[in-house]
Amino acid sequence: MTTHALAGLRILDMTQVAVGPYATMLLGFMGAEVIKVESCSRMDISRGQARPASGSAALYPHGDIGERPWDRTGHYIHRNVNKRSLTLDVAAPRGKELLLQLAAKCDVLVENYRASVMDRLGLGYAAISQVNPRLIYVKISSQGATGPEKDYGSLGSTLEQTAGLASITGYGDGIPLMTNETFPDPVVGMLAVGALMAALRQRRQTGRGTLIDLAQREVTAAMLGEYILAHSTTGNVPGPMGNRHPHMAPQGVYRCLGEDMWVSISVANDTQWRGLCQAIGQPQLAQDTRFATLPARHEHADDIDAILSAWTCEREHYQVMHMLQAHGVPAGAVLQGGETIADPHLYARGFWDTVNHPESGPYQQVTTPWQLSQSPRRTATPAPSLGQHNAYVLGEILGLSEQDIATLAQEGIIGTRPIGAGT
Amino acid sequence: MPVQPLPLSDIRVLDLSEDVAGPFCTKLLAGLGAEVIKIETPGTGDPSRRTGPFIAETPGAEQSALFLYLNTGKKGITLDRRQPTGAAILQRLAQDCDILVESAPPGDMDRLGLGYAALEPLNPQLIYTAITPFGQTGPYRDYQGSELVAQAIGGMMHVIGLPDREPLKIGGHAATYTTGMSAFSATMLALHVRDAQGHGQYVDVSAMETMAVGQIHASIQHQFGHVPKRRHSTLVRAQDGWVHPGLDRGIAEDTWARVCDLMGQPELADDPRFNTRDARRENQAELTAIIGAWTAAHPKEEIYHTLQGLRTVAGYVATIEDLRSSAQLNERDFFQTIAHPSTGEGVYPGTLFTLQDTPWQHGRAPLLGEHNTEIYGERLGYCRAAREQLYGAGII
Repeated sequence: MTTHALAGLRILDMTQVAVGPYATMLLGFMGAEVIKVESCSRMDISRGQARPASGSAALYPHGDIGERPWDRTGHYIHRNVNKRSLTLDVAAPRGKELLLQLAAKCDVLVENYRASVMDRLGLGYAAISQVNPRLIYVKISSQGATGPEKDYGSLGSTLEQTAGLASITGYGDGIPLMTNETFPDPVVGMLAVGALMAALRQRRQTGRGTLIDLAQREVTAAMLGEYILAHSTTGNVPGPMGNRHPHMAPQGVYRCLGEDMWVSISVANDTQWRGLCQAIGQPQLAQDTRFATLPARHEHADDIDAILSAWTCEREHYQVMHMLQAHGVPAGAVLQGGETIADPHLYARGFWDTVNHPESGPYQQVTTPWQLSQSPRRTATPAPSLGQHNAYVLGEILGLSEQDIATLAQEGIIGTRPIGAGT
Repeated sequence: MPVQPLPLSDIRVLDLSEDVAGPFCTKLLAGLGAEVIKIETPGTGDPSRRTGPFIAETPGAEQSALFLYLNTGKKGITLDRRQPTGAAILQRLAQDCDILVESAPPGDMDRLGLGYAALEPLNPQLIYTAITPFGQTGPYRDYQGSELVAQAIGGMMHVIGLPDREPLKIGGHAATYTTGMSAFSATMLALHVRDAQGHGQYVDVSAMETMAVGQIHASIQHQFGHVPKRRHSTLVRAQDGWVHPGLDRGIAEDTWARVCDLMGQPELADDPRFNTRDARRENQAELTAIIGAWTAAHPKEEIYHTLQGLRTVAGYVATIEDLRSSAQLNERDFFQTIAHPSTGEGVYPGTLFTLQDTPWQHGRAPLLGEHNTEIYGERLGYCRAAREQLYGAGII
């Protein structure tokens, strides 16, 4: 009996950049066979340019573009673990024909192009479902598969704006800000896994595949549900709220020892407030009427912040976190990306995989946000080089002969180097 | 194509979770057709009932917009699982359900005899999803969490905000909503396994790890020699709000020249400070000033549509009001009007994704204990007198 949740599930991965690759990365971790399709003329832009200027802004290990720069950018290798790589020029009739043949042998197709692109290529759900009615087509797009803005282009950062998230993110001065993290990309990648499972379950019941329409803007806007509902009865339009919270006081981020080091603290009730006073060695504050209740602490939030900052700034962020947590106070170091990969808790839980990528060397790989007791995730396998699995996919899955495959390479339908890279 | 069956129409969920993450997970399960029975503490209910914003700005157990939104499509019963009789009733309910979702501190359910170890022998097919700030194992497992703490410890917020200010939280409950989504996906994965192999399992989901996936960008940048920092905002003021011109990435060759024409400054098209993507990034401050002078004279949505028409990746900062009036969202029926006996009609974001020809189950949130009679009386067979006894003992 297999132990991987998605063993035996084959996924035709036509995603690129971020949101789609995150989804298929997670599916790969759960045991699916993921075949990433690119072409030598249009590879995933997260691979960077075929011939980047040296010192380019893209993420190369130690700034070194190497012999095959497209196989080693940080963004590409991180988002594309657990996948196989096929190059196929689907704009050419022969390439398209092969793609449809491959779709007939897959359970799922995932794509995140602008909404009309696959239809224009003749590879939309209508065409795909004809060759494989059982296939589930996961269409991830910015705006959804329909509507006047369906072909608008966007990035994760754009969607934070158009979905309303930026309008409630910012300091207390009313100016909206973005996350600098393209937050809607990983979020929707995580949600897409569950959406696909729902469709697989429906296929079990009906014997037919379906089209999943997943709009990043809508998923992100759904995180504002309570404000949307409240607005419909009060007309209130919320603005940025900084780090404070109406039901928490104190709540904020406080400077710690070291450059740009901070700790977050949230106090939800009087018990936690007394714990905080104990932890910082000022138990008399718990008796101070200025701070006795949540409304009082809100009123005197600036005073509390000054007291807390004076204490935190002499300590390291982890130290503050452990001292406060020992007294039952919610607190967490504000970790940088580089600190998360060394965090003892994530390490103890086996969150990171060490991947030794042939082009980029060893690095720590983000894995899954869940742990299933009977269906463990796979250990990450390095992101494939461009066209690394052409022979496997075309030969073993589609049954083409070595001669056929060589002809495809000669005709430029497949390849292992991007056009423009030279030979 | 005829209407397709709801994928979870044969699934029953016991929802013991509170606050945002768990209830959002089970809200999605309900949307897909599951019968979700939300179990709340008698008298007080889910703490989110006491969390704003409130309908008509009036606090009350049935007035919280947060609670009403997070618990659509569910049935609601009350049960004090800390009393032995309550725990025994819960065990009975767990024998006849497919999925249990809880958000208690690690070990809490075990102490009540309601952990996975106790329930699994009673119902080997049960999927037991536990959602916590830090997960069930590891040195921080007993630590207290919050929305802010999750964004901090998961590595998300260090790069958010301005360079000369402290790190900034993403607004609202972004971390806990996202944790609800990862819990949903994890639960659906376990259900997929059960459909194929017949057995249930234990699912451990944490906010910290969900955020650590969310910050994937930062961890890889660190490892590839680029330490990301909080940076100046690239949003610019429009006549009535804020826009992002979207000229730095993902645009066509001739887009810049067309934007220059649009601004009435065609001479900038060949200006070496701005005529390539890298140059524009290098001279971001000057570019922002030039574009800002133009955008300040135009409404945000007009700028958004005009610049999108030139194949940029422009955006505008939509307020809640702007979302409600968005032609795109409305044409797709994103908003649903749902009536509630206590608060009347309200507008809710509806489906998060659609399966073709498959409706989403929209229903209102339950009143506290609304389905006690149905579940305890009709389903478990407690007669009126027995129910009165449970009420009297404060168990329901």
